[in-house]
Amino acid sequence: MTVVAAAPALRERSLRPRLRRRELVLLGVVAVTLVAGWATLASTASETISVGDPSLLAAYLAALLVVHLMFVLAGRRTDQILLPTVGLLGGISLLLMARLPQELVAKTLGPYVLGLGPMQLVWLLVALAVLAVLAIVVRSDNWLRLYKYTWAAAGIGLLLLVFVIGREEPGGARLSICAGPICGQPSELLKVILVVFLAGYLADNRVLLATRSWRVGPLRLPPLPYLLPMLAMWGLALAVVVVQRDLGAALLFFLVFLGMLYIATGRALYVLAGLVAFMAGGAVLYQVLPYVQQRIDTWLNPFTDPLGAGYQTVRALFAFGRGGFLGTGLGAGLPYVGSIPAIPAIHTDFAFTALSEELGLLGALAILGLYLVVAERGMRVAATAEDDFRSLLAAGLTLVLLVQAAIIVGGNAKLIPLTGITLPFISYGGSSLLANAVVVGLLLALSDRGVEPPPPPRPRRRIGRRGAAS
Amino acid sequence: MAIWLLRIAFLGCLYLFLLVVARLLWRDLRAAAAQVPGEIGRLVVVASVEGGPPAGGSYPLDAVTALGRDVNNTIAVDDSFMSGEHAVLSYRGRAWYLEDRASANGTFVNGRRVVDPVPVAFGDEIQLGRVRFRLERPRPARKP
Repeated sequence: MTVVAAAPALRERSLRPRLRRRELVLLGVVAVTLVAGWATLASTASETISVGDPSLLAAYLAALLVVHLMFVLAGRRTDQILLPTVGLLGGISLLLMARLPQELVAKTLGPYVLGLGPMQLVWLLVALAVLAVLAIVVRSDNWLRLYKYTWAAAGIGLLLLVFVIGREEPGGARLSICAGPICGQPSELLKVILVVFLAGYLADNRVLLATRSWRVGPLRLPPLPYLLPMLAMWGLALAVVVVQRDLGAALLFFLVFLGMLYIATGRALYVLAGLVAFMAGGAVLYQVLPYVQQRIDTWLNPFTDPLGAGYQTVRALFAFGRGGFLGTGLGAGLPYVGSIPAIPAIHTDFAFTALSEELGLLGALAILGLYLVVAERGMRVAATAEDDFRSLLAAGLTLVLLVQAAIIVGGNAKLIPLTGITLPFISYGGSSLLANAVVVGLLLALSDRGVEPPPPPRPRRRIGRRGAAS
Repeated sequence: MAIWLLRIAFLGCLYLFLLVVARLLWRDLRAAAAQVPGEIGRLVVVASVEGGPPAGGSYPLDAVTALGRDVNNTIAVDDSFMSGEHAVLSYRGRAWYLEDRASANGTFVNGRRVVDPVPVAFGDEIQLGRVRFRLERPRPARKP
């Protein structure tokens, strides 16, 4: 961040506060919506009309308002729709977490024991702070653009660190690193680093990747040295599956990579070839690795073992069915088995299932609609960006959010094999919320049309070898 | 009954939010579409010579832009190291291409001499004679 602070002011910065009417109006609608949701929850619990104890919600809404005021005072022309949309998703998350059994997560902070709802509120507040700081402070993208290989190295280092000292999860996946009492999942941060690196690499080599210099049979391929990083990406995705047993992250990384490659080169053939390669790799892994085999089998036939391997999937399908069109209503669904919810991991992997049951098809579609709004804003930022790097960065960041949501929603609904990743902004989890806050914060910063212009290009090898280019 | 109303109200509010956002997005897109379809790219002068265009100045580009010393070029630059008909920048498909028109002193992209038409990307530096240009994206449409 010191680079940002040290960057010279190329344009006159106006520190004049700038009113953001659209954002304020939308935040008003968000507040009304969340209050209605909170009242529904409390009324269902007490069976009379009440708002219960609204302190959690009040704290969250106050935080949203504070972020809005910070944006107004900062006076930047950033996007006005992203904050309310993300704020609504976070608020829905808060409603869900306040309603689920609080013992799912219990952390002791000094004299207080915080359950699921308060913990999620804490993470949401931290995430909002990260988002606001990034959106206000980041005025130049040079600290991302110039050090892309450093970022890539940091990412790979992070991955290796998880391989070595990662904590084993019950399912056999190695996902988190713990430093004292604080645990984090580096793969969440890794996805942001991956996008930064790919944006830098593709922006530099875009033209060469789109040219075809040699052919294998009917395939015309770009120059080999520029193909290798792509093969490395494919290898990396499969390695994450094998070593880390993290199918969700592998799928996310690879799909985001293919999406960005398509945006940079405009060649659908690459995407097709990448998908075929991924399927081929998957088919081999299916034969070799028992847990991959189990995932796929469970996906295809969950009812062969409804109380064992297929338990989650079967329970989730029942929940979707109970939800129906209008849902059971917030707080009225989600039966228990004994004292635990019938669906395991309801607050993380199956958050969308929980919402679908309580809000029904209509509510689920509205939530998907919110992700589409985020997508539209992100792609607009990408389309109006002033150079390739910024454009690819914005598109990649948007893709990360979208693809992640699509993978887990598809997994919940048994459309694709279930993989354990979080639903952005809705699932419980500090790492996930923070990483997604970084994504949205950067998108907001990039959406400011007054940001520092990109630096002049340095001489590159780009139109390299005379024979290939001419 | 009242609880049901609350539940429906919550769903209704969700859709109200989506509706308000959709209206804003629609207006935003309409405004962007109404903007005059301006430039497809710009050439910014990076370095120049006495009597040439001032450094920092920029030229909007046509789909086919001829560059050279002759006054009949789209962008005419009076630099004695340039040929009368020096090079042509053209926008084909979705990319810019630069072609040298058998100039005496050559055309360079990022310091490399080019002979046949080559694709150039936004941000590339193009040198003709002693004048250096940078190909830049069209300026993003700005609201008043």
